[in-house]
Amino acid sequence: MQALTFGITDEQRTIQETTTRMLRPFEARRQEFERALREHGRVPEEFWTALAEAGLLGAFVPEEFGGTAMGLSALATAADAMASRGFGHPLFLLTGMDALCIARSGSASLQRRFLPRIASGALKLCFAITEANAGTNSFRMTTRAVRRGDSYVLDGEKTFITGMDQADYVLLVARSRSREEIERGGLPKTSCLSVFVVDCHTPGISLTPLPMRAIDGAAQWTVHFDGAEVPAENLVGEEHAGALAMFNTLNPERVLIAAGACGQTERLLEMSIAYASQRVVFGSRPIGAYQAVQHPLADLRIRLEAARAVTMKAAAAFDAGVDPSEAGTYANMAKYLATDLAIDAADRAIQTHGGSGFSEDVGVIGYWERTRLMRTAPISKEMILNFVGEHVLGLPRSY
Amino acid sequence: MKILATVKRVPDPETSIKVKPDGSGIVTDNVKWVINPFDEIAIEEALRIKEKVAGSEVVLVSIGGNAAPNDVKEQLRTGLAMGADGAILVVTDAALEPLVVARALAKLVETEKPDLVVMGKQAIDDDSNAAGQMLAELLGWPQATFASKVELSGDQKSATVIREVDGGLETLRFPLPGIVTADLRLNEPRYASLPGIMKARKKELKEIPIGDLEKAGLDVSGRTQLVKMEPPPKRQAGKLVESVDQLVELLHTEAKVI
Repeated sequence: MQALTFGITDEQRTIQETTTRMLRPFEARRQEFERALREHGRVPEEFWTALAEAGLLGAFVPEEFGGTAMGLSALATAADAMASRGFGHPLFLLTGMDALCIARSGSASLQRRFLPRIASGALKLCFAITEANAGTNSFRMTTRAVRRGDSYVLDGEKTFITGMDQADYVLLVARSRSREEIERGGLPKTSCLSVFVVDCHTPGISLTPLPMRAIDGAAQWTVHFDGAEVPAENLVGEEHAGALAMFNTLNPERVLIAAGACGQTERLLEMSIAYASQRVVFGSRPIGAYQAVQHPLADLRIRLEAARAVTMKAAAAFDAGVDPSEAGTYANMAKYLATDLAIDAADRAIQTHGGSGFSEDVGVIGYWERTRLMRTAPISKEMILNFVGEHVLGLPRSY
Repeated sequence: MKILATVKRVPDPETSIKVKPDGSGIVTDNVKWVINPFDEIAIEEALRIKEKVAGSEVVLVSIGGNAAPNDVKEQLRTGLAMGADGAILVVTDAALEPLVVARALAKLVETEKPDLVVMGKQAIDDDSNAAGQMLAELLGWPQATFASKVELSGDQKSATVIREVDGGLETLRFPLPGIVTADLRLNEPRYASLPGIMKARKKELKEIPIGDLEKAGLDVSGRTQLVKMEPPPKRQAGKLVESVDQLVELLHTEAKVI
């Protein structure tokens, strides 16, 4: 018999086990953990320390800077395992993405300054790209970064910035060339953005809270930049070449979102199966014996297997360094499949649980918003279909 | 000093086990395999000794398959990722009884020449609790089983072990080399971190076909035979009683325990 080489590797199984073990002390006091999330809107600090100790914050950090550079497959495996147990930290994904951006595009000195502290858990990072008038289309952004001596001066406004109050640094995408410059010089529209690592406590930065829902453990903010200065050495990659650095980061983000959605589906399925196995309504058979309850759950399990396969394929493609457009295709497909699946899982978990599905103590209802968010962000379902239609099917651009 | 720590692959204690209809064993499809929890404690103790005694080396030993469905390399890699220095796998797909395991380990002790062998007190699948004791007997080495605390003398020539025995604790001191089997409260095992998993990629996992040990005199014939496995009887539904008096009455007349 030929050995089965397709699927999860021994090493990935060990990473699952590592993640499960790391979570064990938090499982033991899950209610306390969830209360902290509800009451303070933050994940307890020990969770971050535990992520660092397990080595999960250094998955994109080279070994010379205290990481493992094990890559996206490892991180996606951990993100899935973590969500499967009902845990997560919004800044875990953001810090991971930012570390990747710095490791791939940052100068040697920038890497030396930031990567060791990211791997050790000393720094939390968030990410700021979205503006009120520049969401899906980042090239419409107006937040300016203008070079003045050894610094860049930042002016403008970013919105929907997750965890800006908790983070030490924000990876900021800003416009370093005005629209007029681009038009006048006949330059490609992609050559207008630059990426910076900005200290969140820089004078000239202020925050306005947003009344948002669906993200646990971090508030969202509008971030105002009023003449805030960032040292020129904090530029990530070449000036005006930020679009590339940014796109290199967005595909892995989609894969990690997909992995998290697979984990959420696993969690919702487990809760549904447990409930359906013991809940008796008529006679003596549990409701899980009814096909109307059983089949929707069986369907989720089948689709979960498929979504996981595509997610791990997307992660493997990224780690193997395949052409970004190909890696992007799988990343988009994984995000599409997994996030729609998670929404269905939340819907069916609520239906399986009946009225108690709406109780915060049962813990299913929170997934309704949490999973639904992912159909919209970080990229909408429709934009993925647009991408696949145009780039995979070769049909005319539809937007 | 050199420490051998044994690793047995067992079904995850958190998964529920089904017995095959013909009673020849358990259903292994979809079973998640882990390091025997007591062996994990043994590895942890070996690593703690290594951290205290400069220049020490921890070598893991397992006996089992090197390919699906009996592949135990994953569990050895996990042990390496915890921090062990190397691993030896005696390759066989046969299920071995404790005496054969002890004989095979004795063969490895001849070549590896460890100062200490640390083992789980038993494996949670068959609960034999025998291989450690048998190994000590075959080697003529001192043994301390059910260890809840292990301390080495300053010159690493002897070990002091506290054992959990019925009704209290027993303290033993014996000269090395020797055998220690780990009880539950000996330590809290660490888990493999990602850097550990990364380092484990470069560590040696040596495979020795069991035939090689047989050529060197290993006797693989057993003395026992698995006749039949059956699941425990299904537990009867409980009964709710109205009062303490009724409970006492039923314990007397129905359960006949008082």
